[in-house]
Amino acid sequence: MADKVCGRPFETDQDARDSWRPKVDYPEDDNESNSESTSSSYSHSDYSDDLEPEWLDDVQKNGELFYLELSEGEEEAALARATANQCLPTNHVRFSEKEAEVISEESRKRPERAPTKRETKLKRLARILRRKRRPSQRRVPDGEAVDPSSRPASILKNQLGQRAGAQVVGQQLKEVCVYLNPNRLGSCSPTPQERGGLLEALLGVVHRPSWGRGQGDPTGRREERITIHGLVPNSPAIKSAQILIGDVLVAVDDVDVTTENIERVLSCIPGPSQVKLTLETASPGGPDEGGADVSSAPRLRPSPPASQLVRLLWGEDTAELQMSLGHTPHVIMYLSLKLDSDSPLEEQEILYQYPVSEASSQLKGVRGIFLTLCDMLQNVTGGQIVSSSLLLSKHLVHVGYWKESNNLLVIGLPADRVPLLYLQTVVEGVVRTLNVMYGSLDRAFCQEEHTPKLDHFFCLFFQQIIQPSRLSDSSGATPPDLSRSLFLDGLPAVRWLTLPPEIKMEVDTVLSDFESSDFGEMSEDFYGMRRLYVTLGSCLFYKGYLIANHLSKEDLLDVCLYCQHYCLLPLAVEQRVGQLVIWREVFPCQRTQNQTNKGQSSGLGYYQAQGRYFLLIVGLRHFMQCVLLVAGGCAGPALGSPGPDCVYVDQAKATLLQLEGLEAGMEERLAAPPAPCLSCADWFLPSAARDSKLAGAVKRTSSAQGGGRGVGRSWFGGGSRRPSPQRSLSDSGSEGQPERGTTGQTGISPLSTPDSARKLGGRRDSLGSGGSDGSGGSGSMFKIPRMKHPNPFYLGTLKKSLTERETEEMYNTMKLTSGAENTLFHYVLMETVQGIYIAPTHRELAQLSGSIHPQLIRNFHHCCLSIRAAFQQSLPPGGRRGADRPKGSHGLGPVKEHGVLFQCKPENWTDQRKPAPTLTYWVIGRMLLEPIPQEFYVCFHDSVSEVPVEMAFRLSFGLAL
Amino acid sequence: MMLQQTGSVQLLCLTANSGVPLFTRGACKQLPFSIIGSLNGVHMFGAGQGVVLGGCETDRGGRVVWRVFQDSVMLIAVSAGRHAQQGSGSGDSGEGDFQMRRLLENVWSCMVLVLGQDELVSVRNVERLKRDLRSCYRLIDQLLEGVQGQQSTMGDLTHCGDCLLPTNPALLQEALDGFTQAAESEFGCLMVHGRIAAATDKWWRLAPQEVVLLSALARTLSGSASCDFPVFLPQGSPNVAHRLLRFQLLLGADVCVLCGPSPTLNRAESELVGRFWSPVVEALRGTLAVGERCLPGSVTLRPDVLAVLLINRESRRSVSCVKTVSAHPSPHPCSPPLPSKTRCWELLRLFFTFSATRYFPLEETPPTLALTPGQNGHGEDTESLQEDFVLGFFHQPLQCYLVTDECKCYGLQTGQHQLYLLTPLSVPTFALRSVATETLSALTAAKGF
Repeated sequence: MADKVCGRPFETDQDARDSWRPKVDYPEDDNESNSESTSSSYSHSDYSDDLEPEWLDDVQKNGELFYLELSEGEEEAALARATANQCLPTNHVRFSEKEAEVISEESRKRPERAPTKRETKLKRLARILRRKRRPSQRRVPDGEAVDPSSRPASILKNQLGQRAGAQVVGQQLKEVCVYLNPNRLGSCSPTPQERGGLLEALLGVVHRPSWGRGQGDPTGRREERITIHGLVPNSPAIKSAQILIGDVLVAVDDVDVTTENIERVLSCIPGPSQVKLTLETASPGGPDEGGADVSSAPRLRPSPPASQLVRLLWGEDTAELQMSLGHTPHVIMYLSLKLDSDSPLEEQEILYQYPVSEASSQLKGVRGIFLTLCDMLQNVTGGQIVSSSLLLSKHLVHVGYWKESNNLLVIGLPADRVPLLYLQTVVEGVVRTLNVMYGSLDRAFCQEEHTPKLDHFFCLFFQQIIQPSRLSDSSGATPPDLSRSLFLDGLPAVRWLTLPPEIKMEVDTVLSDFESSDFGEMSEDFYGMRRLYVTLGSCLFYKGYLIANHLSKEDLLDVCLYCQHYCLLPLAVEQRVGQLVIWREVFPCQRTQNQTNKGQSSGLGYYQAQGRYFLLIVGLRHFMQCVLLVAGGCAGPALGSPGPDCVYVDQAKATLLQLEGLEAGMEERLAAPPAPCLSCADWFLPSAARDSKLAGAVKRTSSAQGGGRGVGRSWFGGGSRRPSPQRSLSDSGSEGQPERGTTGQTGISPLSTPDSARKLGGRRDSLGSGGSDGSGGSGSMFKIPRMKHPNPFYLGTLKKSLTERETEEMYNTMKLTSGAENTLFHYVLMETVQGIYIAPTHRELAQLSGSIHPQLIRNFHHCCLSIRAAFQQSLPPGGRRGADRPKGSHGLGPVKEHGVLFQCKPENWTDQRKPAPTLTYWVIGRMLLEPIPQEFYVCFHDSVSEVPVEMAFRLSFGLAL
Repeated sequence: MMLQQTGSVQLLCLTANSGVPLFTRGACKQLPFSIIGSLNGVHMFGAGQGVVLGGCETDRGGRVVWRVFQDSVMLIAVSAGRHAQQGSGSGDSGEGDFQMRRLLENVWSCMVLVLGQDELVSVRNVERLKRDLRSCYRLIDQLLEGVQGQQSTMGDLTHCGDCLLPTNPALLQEALDGFTQAAESEFGCLMVHGRIAAATDKWWRLAPQEVVLLSALARTLSGSASCDFPVFLPQGSPNVAHRLLRFQLLLGADVCVLCGPSPTLNRAESELVGRFWSPVVEALRGTLAVGERCLPGSVTLRPDVLAVLLINRESRRSVSCVKTVSAHPSPHPCSPPLPSKTRCWELLRLFFTFSATRYFPLEETPPTLALTPGQNGHGEDTESLQEDFVLGFFHQPLQCYLVTDECKCYGLQTGQHQLYLLTPLSVPTFALRSVATETLSALTAAKGF
């Protein structure tokens, strides 16, 4: 028992652990990690000790691993609301134990630093501690960590836990809420009675009646206080982190408990629920020091709750989240088309279904429709069914289909979430991800042991689509933009972050070093073994942006799809990941296809070696590295289902640690002003409030379109007090436009603003942005926007960082915004060959806050859905279904370019005398197939005359129209 | 594959509760009964489970759309996918759906128009109903042709009356008003080349769909010198028949009047037609000369406009015109050939549906006038079966354009109008907007359309 209760094994290399664990004192931290990462050599001794990595226990029988550990701050928060692990055998995640951390943190408090020496010492200490297998570990809340004096006390307390009762100086009551789930009891192998009863099985508290204590009569089972003698690992008690050994359990849900009645009380808990425990704590340091700290720590730090996303990834709360979707019909089913009418079994054609709840019951009930349609439409129209629309009690539901051999995958989604235009892309994404993960749909759905994993997979899938707000952390600020995630996730590309070349080079070098598998003394060469895996390539994400990629495009997309479906990219945006290790066998689309086609291609003399592929994802803090490994070929063949190999994981970690030295550079890049320069829509639209503040600020909004409304109107905010010369100038500018406009031959839109007015507009805009910052003085108005959004022609260091093509693209985007006025609002450029896209970073977007701009961005993305859907129909069907479909002139034919002009009016415009000012802007998408396939989506203000727009496109891509 | 012809549409009509086939139209080869049965059965099964099946689509653009009207008649439209050699895929998701739904709606309305709602809702004798429905076939076939892009009118799609702008509108209007009044009616309409050249105010205040269907009916009836046809107005008076009197004035020019029991066809023909229309024969001839262009000579379109569709959103009128290709030679011999005339019509229809489903919905105006205050002809809420992509936009779309392999399309919406243009590829994209605004002002300014 003592062994069971004891702590977790240590991290393999203490150095690594120290440096990536988030700290309180940041500057020091950076120094430390820098010093470590630059000397990337890991001494032999680091690995020679036989310490197991903490994820080792989580490796599944089939070798798969999904281990996610939050960084300190997040974990703390999660613990506070820890709930029982339900449901997921695979993705079972456990918190790491804290003993090493306590020590390391303490050590960091020391004034003078002697890294190497001290750390080795520490390691030794840690090892000693580990061997001792202390019965309980307890995290020290941050509140205490600030105070160095209290730290030794807590360590002491941990170590002396069993004798704590003797040391009672003062006693306090504290209340701890824990989440108990009696349903889990069934899964325990030993019956509760054999072990410590419900107290131990359910709560995880070990109490030895009158054991080593003088209180009770050892022979008679008398009523006795429940002193906590130990805590069961992974139990609710230990997760709460507030129940300490030595505490006395006084009451459960305000019912006083003793050894007499505790089992009865606990057995009354009907189902999973939150239970309040009242504990009498014995604080060693006196009532007003340690004890108070312990009890009040959680309240002092109202840390944000662990996001639903993380809990969902852990496999917690799935039931609750699923419940909240109960009113929205959605389903995924895998149906067999081979109907055996004689079979006595009902529902035998359902090979897989999720969710099994009310939400899906109606759709499940009509599965006959799906099967019949799939069968019939092929006969009638000669095509495969891809979608259908159903109306379920006022809910319009789109159903997407995917047929594979004799089975049919059916996904039903509410229409208000996924427009029909994009349903197919979503379905294709799911199918490809499943193919990557399992090799084929049949393998995924038809093997019983995959079911819980698939449940988790689709739980995530539906949550992301139906209630993304529950997953995002930014509570309340802006509802998540579903169109955005649909559009960006649907692109066959990964978000790319351009980096300055020196950083890029270093990143690439580090990755290459890793990929060479030249692990020094740790390599298999050293031991004369055949190597286990060959590294096919890896890619690196920083805060969800791809910063380096050494994978082929299709592999990259496969990996990225996996990451998307498990929300790994947003996870790393905020500092959440303490440690992420994922290992699983994968079946990259292209490579598995090659293998099946090998017979034909063998004539070429070369074919890809047959092998098994494994995906290793290692994440530390903001970094995430995805490595694709192959076993077989020149590496040894993989036998059985191998688990992650420590060497590879550690090397990946080492790589990431090494890269942390470059973090500053990347942060700098992220913090850099947006390039291409972006404008905020709000600057083009005066609000009533700003008018009063900015006396004389002039806003020119683009004219409302069309004959019915009158062409070429301008509005001037705060016109009454504006200096007259400006007014007359710009008035003449806009009034000078004839009603019918200049003719098309000049190539200038009738609505484009004459130059004089444009220049003025630029100045006015800078005024406007100053105003939006709320700065009062007119002098600063000119400066502030310039600092935040510098001259578009000043690229600074960034210019160097871009590849030639991107610079060109950027240059032309600048061209687009010729004139003082910058009118580019947003852009997305997708490069199909490399499978990457670039778009303004989150931070750039955050800078452009305003009331209208976020709307504009959402509108942009919604429109992009439509534009891209128009492109999709004309795409040469690579990757899309029905690859034998040649092009022809039906429907509208292949669409190369599509643009939509939008008008927006400020909400609740109160001034009734003046018409509301309007802002018009274009969203334009263009698809190019030559020289390289690209898709380009821009959003810019209407005032750009259309000639520059055209030039921008032409110059950018060197194409004749 | 049972529907051989690409793009062909087959329309199935069954009784909703018993599934007895009433008729099948379209597509040369009729689908086997087993298929018809299962198509119907699938929908019925769903209805039993509280699920209304709306439509489905295949990867080759094939499509099936269901709809039940008044719990009595089930209409199913099946469109064949494109052939492998021809098809360009399923991208037209929204568009195809929109067209097919319009088709079903129109077919039902035209069944009501001819037979009246009562007879369709309370079926007493299926065999008799089958016989009666034969009188709808010509009209339905015309609608089917429209869906397959073989018509040069767009009313069935836009639900706006196809108009022809006469050179001398005031004169014709006056004659029509007088004639209608003399025929003891308020509803009169002059059709030239199958389009409305003039109509009384009340005629325009019929439900847009009725205007379109009456025009279609007049087209199918044309050929004879005159006729007297009982019609039920699907929305205005679905159960009380009116008389549609049609007289041929000249070849290609007809006048229609909706009236009650009097006057008799004979009297109207002998007394009224000559009296009101002989004075304006010249004006009529002039209008006939406008021809397919639908626009009087005074309106000049820019040379680089291949086809145009202008919709007045308030009065629900539309003018559409496709230029003949010969009049518009391709400026560069090497540039791709201009689309043929029929292709232009098809493209115009497609572009309209594309824009209407995504950006410019056109459903605001409710029918304003009912002849007899009766129940609404469409008691169905299945309209919600179409998702509103437009609702996802935060801001209002004003204009849009498309550049395809064949031509460029430009769409524009203002408070009162919608304009859809096709131009050759030689027109630079940046000039499209000015071409469009100019065309719009040319069309609206000249005729006050």
